[in-house]
Amino acid sequence: MKIVVIIPAYDEEGRIAASISDASAFVDEVVVVDDCSRDQTRARALSAGAYVLSHLINRGQGAALQTGMDFATKNLGAEVIVHFDADGQMQGSDIPALIAPIVDGLAEVALGSRFLGRAGRIPFTRRLLLKAAILFTFITSGLWLTDTHNGFRAFSREAAGKIRLTQNRMAHASEILEQISAKKMRYVEVPVTIRYSAETLAKGQKSSAMFRVAWDLFKGTLLK
Amino acid sequence: MWIQAILITFALFAMGRVFVQHRAQKVSSGWFGTWIVFWLAVIVVVLRPSLTDMAATALGVGRGADLVVYVSLAVLFYSLFRLAMRQEQHNRELTELVRKMAVEHPEMPNDKARMTNE
Repeated sequence: MKIVVIIPAYDEEGRIAASISDASAFVDEVVVVDDCSRDQTRARALSAGAYVLSHLINRGQGAALQTGMDFATKNLGAEVIVHFDADGQMQGSDIPALIAPIVDGLAEVALGSRFLGRAGRIPFTRRLLLKAAILFTFITSGLWLTDTHNGFRAFSREAAGKIRLTQNRMAHASEILEQISAKKMRYVEVPVTIRYSAETLAKGQKSSAMFRVAWDLFKGTLLK
Repeated sequence: MWIQAILITFALFAMGRVFVQHRAQKVSSGWFGTWIVFWLAVIVVVLRPSLTDMAATALGVGRGADLVVYVSLAVLFYSLFRLAMRQEQHNRELTELVRKMAVEHPEMPNDKARMTNE
């Protein structure tokens, strides 16, 4: 099966090469979607052996993931697609276990869960927000998951074709879950390790972001 | 009296601008009609403010001025909502355009580009 990993990236020149190297050991192709970075992310990604798609205007992580999925399915013939972060929080060695249910035909979607696996020391406020997100997801999608804001996911080709992200920014995580539920896709949660560093924690979403996510989801509902 | 003169002058000026924009085909006939009716209503209300009091009484609101404020707020909030929806739609269309350009111009990794050229 052809396995393609999608890495959305914005201003990650310091970490993109390591992330590509980490993931490439377990997949057939790596696609980096450079979301109009201001630094050398694009050049470093090319040198590291990834395909690079460049957004001429910054559109957000959700938009970058959809761009990558379109390219992977239409141009590379991907049969399994993995979402992977550019900042080194995820481990490439988790990919085989993540995609195993899809490869074995047991599921169409595999969702990584740090609470089933190992998570670095998560600050209390971040942990609280993640738990609140679990409740929010249950209310909006009916899915009861252990980790609803984990960008480590995998899709079969068919499942990737059913997903269409309209949320450009962070609300895409909720939108993916809503579409999995609405289209009754078979999914499983798989334990994964998420590594935190002072850098990634500082870069992570602020608490106020949840209001932006809720507003974006509300607008999306009205435009359907 | 002065305020009435100022408001009527402004309303006539606004109607003139709408007419000019319509002739330049920057405003549709529908919106042209809507704005003309709106500014005519403003002129009528400025000349006969008691009309708003009559409307307010009929609707169970205290004063004509209160009615004007309530209606204006409702219209403004609805306009803001419509603007937000239109902006969101434009945002999505822009993303689709950016995506199309990105997918149609992928860059191959350096090693694969070398192999293709060999």
